[in-house]
Amino acid sequence: MAISKVDPIELAVFKSTIHSVAEEMGATLRRTSFSPNIKERRDYSCAVFDGKGNAIAMGDHMPVHLGSMPMSVRTAVDALTLAPGDIAILNDPYGGGTHLPDITMVLPVYVDHEKSPLFYVASRAHHADVGGMYAGSMGPCREIYQEGIRIPPVKIAHGGEIDRGILAMILSNVRTPVEREGDLTSQIGSCRVGENRLRELVAKYGRKKIAGLIDELLAYSERLMRAELRKMPAGEFRAEDVMDNDGVTDKPIRIAVSIRFDPSTASAAIDFRGTDPQVAGSINAVYSITYSACYYVFRCLLAEDAPATAGLMRPITLHAPEKSFVNARPPAAVAGGNVETSQRIVDVLLRALAKAAPHRVPAASSGTMNNLTIGGIDPRNGEPFAYYETIAGGMGARPTADGLSGVHTHMTNSLNTPVEALEYAYPFRVRRYSYRPGSGGDGKYRGGDGLVREIEVLGDAQVTLLAERRKFNPYGLSGGEPGTTGRSIVVHSDGTQETLPAKCSVAMAKGDSIRIETPGGGGWGKPTKANK
Amino acid sequence: MRIAIDTGGTFTDCVYLQDGVPKVLKLFSTPANPANAVVEGLRRIQPGVNPEVRHGTTVGTNAVLERKGARVAFVTTEGFEDTVVIGRQARANLYDWFATPPPPMVPAGLRFGVHERTCAEGNILQAPSDSELERLCAAIQASGAEAVAVSLLFAFANPANERMVAEALDRLGIPVSRSHVILPEFREYERATTVVVNAYLSPKMGHYIRNLEDTVQKEFKGGQVKVMQSSGGIVSARLAAAEPVRTVLSGPAGGVMGAYHVARLAGFDRIIGFDMGGTSTDVSLVDASEGGPHTTNESIVSGMPISVPMLDIHTVGAGGGSLARFDSGGALTVGPESAGSDPGPICYGRGTQPTVTDANLLLGRLDPDMFLGGAVRLDEKRTRTLMEQTKGPVKHVEEFAAGILRLAETTMEKAIRVISVERGYDPRDFTLVCFGGAGPLHACALARALHIPRVLVPCMPGALSALGILMADTVRDYSRTVMQPPEVKLLEEHFAALEKRGHAEMKAEGLRGVASRSIDVRYVGQGYELNIPFSPKMLADFHRAHRQRYGYADEQRTVEIVNVRVRMVAAAEPVSLPKGKPRNGDGRQAVVKKRRVVFDGTARPTPVYDRHLLRRGDTFRGPAVIAEYSATTVVPPGCSARVDAYENIVIEVN
Repeated sequence: MAISKVDPIELAVFKSTIHSVAEEMGATLRRTSFSPNIKERRDYSCAVFDGKGNAIAMGDHMPVHLGSMPMSVRTAVDALTLAPGDIAILNDPYGGGTHLPDITMVLPVYVDHEKSPLFYVASRAHHADVGGMYAGSMGPCREIYQEGIRIPPVKIAHGGEIDRGILAMILSNVRTPVEREGDLTSQIGSCRVGENRLRELVAKYGRKKIAGLIDELLAYSERLMRAELRKMPAGEFRAEDVMDNDGVTDKPIRIAVSIRFDPSTASAAIDFRGTDPQVAGSINAVYSITYSACYYVFRCLLAEDAPATAGLMRPITLHAPEKSFVNARPPAAVAGGNVETSQRIVDVLLRALAKAAPHRVPAASSGTMNNLTIGGIDPRNGEPFAYYETIAGGMGARPTADGLSGVHTHMTNSLNTPVEALEYAYPFRVRRYSYRPGSGGDGKYRGGDGLVREIEVLGDAQVTLLAERRKFNPYGLSGGEPGTTGRSIVVHSDGTQETLPAKCSVAMAKGDSIRIETPGGGGWGKPTKANK
Repeated sequence: MRIAIDTGGTFTDCVYLQDGVPKVLKLFSTPANPANAVVEGLRRIQPGVNPEVRHGTTVGTNAVLERKGARVAFVTTEGFEDTVVIGRQARANLYDWFATPPPPMVPAGLRFGVHERTCAEGNILQAPSDSELERLCAAIQASGAEAVAVSLLFAFANPANERMVAEALDRLGIPVSRSHVILPEFREYERATTVVVNAYLSPKMGHYIRNLEDTVQKEFKGGQVKVMQSSGGIVSARLAAAEPVRTVLSGPAGGVMGAYHVARLAGFDRIIGFDMGGTSTDVSLVDASEGGPHTTNESIVSGMPISVPMLDIHTVGAGGGSLARFDSGGALTVGPESAGSDPGPICYGRGTQPTVTDANLLLGRLDPDMFLGGAVRLDEKRTRTLMEQTKGPVKHVEEFAAGILRLAETTMEKAIRVISVERGYDPRDFTLVCFGGAGPLHACALARALHIPRVLVPCMPGALSALGILMADTVRDYSRTVMQPPEVKLLEEHFAALEKRGHAEMKAEGLRGVASRSIDVRYVGQGYELNIPFSPKMLADFHRAHRQRYGYADEQRTVEIVNVRVRMVAAAEPVSLPKGKPRNGDGRQAVVKKRRVVFDGTARPTPVYDRHLLRRGDTFRGPAVIAEYSATTVVPPGCSARVDAYENIVIEVN
């Protein structure tokens, strides 16, 4: 390995500084955005790219955006000529997006009348509604056209002026235009903060030195990844798993992967050949989701402070067959691919990786975000309401320790809503919020336990569920037992119970409760008598 | 006589007024029982009759950080026993599968549920039965719990059920912390952890404070003990013992208050506090035009949210002891691992890995003979030899050392950006007030990087925290979640109830408090609130504050009042610092030697000033090093230092 030409001190300072630009963009977005989804649940990401579109810094935000942000930037830069003061907007999942609610803005950073931008900055946020058939734009659709407004890369600003026409076009297609306008404006603000800080950096370092530092940062990240790949055993490692169903038919859906390591070239090739074709329901994963999942898994092999740059993925290739479940093409519906399928792709990758490096990866985690939407008319004031939450589950056991219980894993890290906040805001009474003891798989180390959340509705309501791992358990590793599957039950006011399928929409009467029991994580290693 | 005694760190600092002039006494701390040093200090000071001993303590801090508190039983509504551990169901480390959070303060087996329920409107849906309470008491007794935390759902809306449960538990003879007393606010997780921390500390802190008070009263006629709270206000020993969760960051709060008071006297109203110690650095921001130091209700200490008001202090893991190394990609990293006190930096004689302190020594910024007044001799030769061996691909060892400093300063620069730029403040409007042993070494470099025009090294830098405690007012905070429309009449009732309690508590201490009212307001549908003074124009103030903080406001939107707050303040008698008339001087009399110090890659002959020999009005330009007992100030070339009327050093940074 060649010793770098740039000195290790300059590199370290630059790495830290450029990362703080992305973090500061994120802080601005959180501070100025309107909706709780961005502010409280923190569903957003900000990143900095070089003039060629290579990611050079990403804030520690949403893992599912890791690989897909760069693709959105690439799509915008390829489709448009971005002049100074222009900003691109897009959300097309088939152009680097994840699902329609995630809207991305891309701003080129020009310095001193240069002909081409020295950097790009991008900010992405999950918007609470982008139109379509269902409020919240996360419902069980069959085609992307039903899921909401699809925005190809277009300019939302020209030479510093907002394009009112484009903005009006977007706002007239969503249910909550005032809130959307506020959030979109704060995304623009966050890009401008990034732009200002990058200009300051150029003034401090000079263009030439910056260019050298960027190259070195990318090379450095590549070295970090290659150092890990060199430790991997040579060979091909395969794994597969199935999703319960797509919510339209009850047919299981297979995801298959092979990871081929070549330590002599310090590289890896990931191939999803053998995965089922795209499905009729809304849980198809677009290519950028699959890429993000791969990026996430390999990123986790490195130390926590490794920079999330394009250099990390240079030694890794990815093949996902076109029109497959992990590289869906239009007009497939994709809203749930971001939340459910992304998690399963990670677990399948981990299962393959465990064959190569059994002591480096955890067993399967709960593998679902248990997306729960409750809507209806609030009997207290006659107003309509819609509530959306995700419920965490058990983390897979680690080769050195039990899995964590009741925690969001892998591609998400959003927060819950406090029980007391919920009962103030909605006609609900929460009956239980607890661990689900014994749901983690047994093993030398136990899988983390899932959660139980039971909510009584105080008026008639419609409940929509998008969940997984109701039929097929989270796997254990190295002899560990699988975690318990999840359950969703309606408890009627007369005490009778009704078990719901993984994905459904049902009417509940006043006094009924919905009880979600989330899956536990898989165990690791053969159980010994002592820990039974 | 009023005496402030701060027992954090290696030294116990005492500051007291003698003929109106603050005096400092430093003694070695007695970590096994910090009270020994407190009493020893008092004996030396000889305070006469009726001394008021104001104490900054780390007993609570350390118990939380080291998880050495009581065995706590947690009691809540049946079905919600685990909420105190589930938290917000998020993980701290995004990309680390092997990270494990600190063990829960209340393990399974110590979490108990009661069949009872109060709803959001405060109606009792189900009251606990006598037989269940009997069973609960027996179970808790059998569990071996040493303290109990009770936090039932919606107990703040109607505490009847919680009172019943707590009164039943009082029979066990162990401390019982009640959520409707400690923190009558919504959000069950953050309330529960706050009450749990209170219970966790109550046996230890209760014992410690009562013991100290007994000793003081026995030895010093009429003596009373008061304790510094994390909010920056003082409270009586009795209340501190009952609500120890309010004193978790007692020491750092003293530092911020001290920095603020000293800077204000010197004429600077907007400050960024920069307190750099051995393993970590605390930064804070205070703007006098906003009424002084900000408190936050969203602190997290050692993984536990603590929602009683605490000064807003941001901590990062970089300090003098932070270790430097190269990672597998060849980049230099500094911290968060620290050499601690064992083995310590290379220059102390035992450590083998370079630290920030070693880098400062190698570049000539620390004087090997003047460290802690010469009590500790720093080993220059050993430092150079070992740093040569660990400098990796870097050519010169000086370059390596300068790199270590740059990286440590980059981390601290980020920390300051978080509390300033990211919250909408421009650092150019502030003065950087540095303290802690390592603060003044790095302050000018940091100020330059952030365009902060000025650095202030306070007089008495080694006892700033104690000085802050000496100057602090007596403060009690009360609050309650009301969740209602902004109707003044309804609010008045709540305020009146809180104030009644406040006046009674102040009176019991022989004090007269002044109440100030505020409200936490938000737009309906939001999940976060802004604190606004209660007044006829509170709604207009809210919209304005929202615009300033979040960039927009919407006067058409419905707002709701989430919490009402009352702060009772009994002002302390002001302390004035000795002020003298500055004369023109160049500080020549204070130069004790010249040494080569490296700035920007070049070794330059640099005068070393002894701070004690500097006089008011002395002005000189960098490069310069100013040494004193517990700190060293670096004045880089291009900066100019002046000793002001209070003997602060004010450095203009260009």
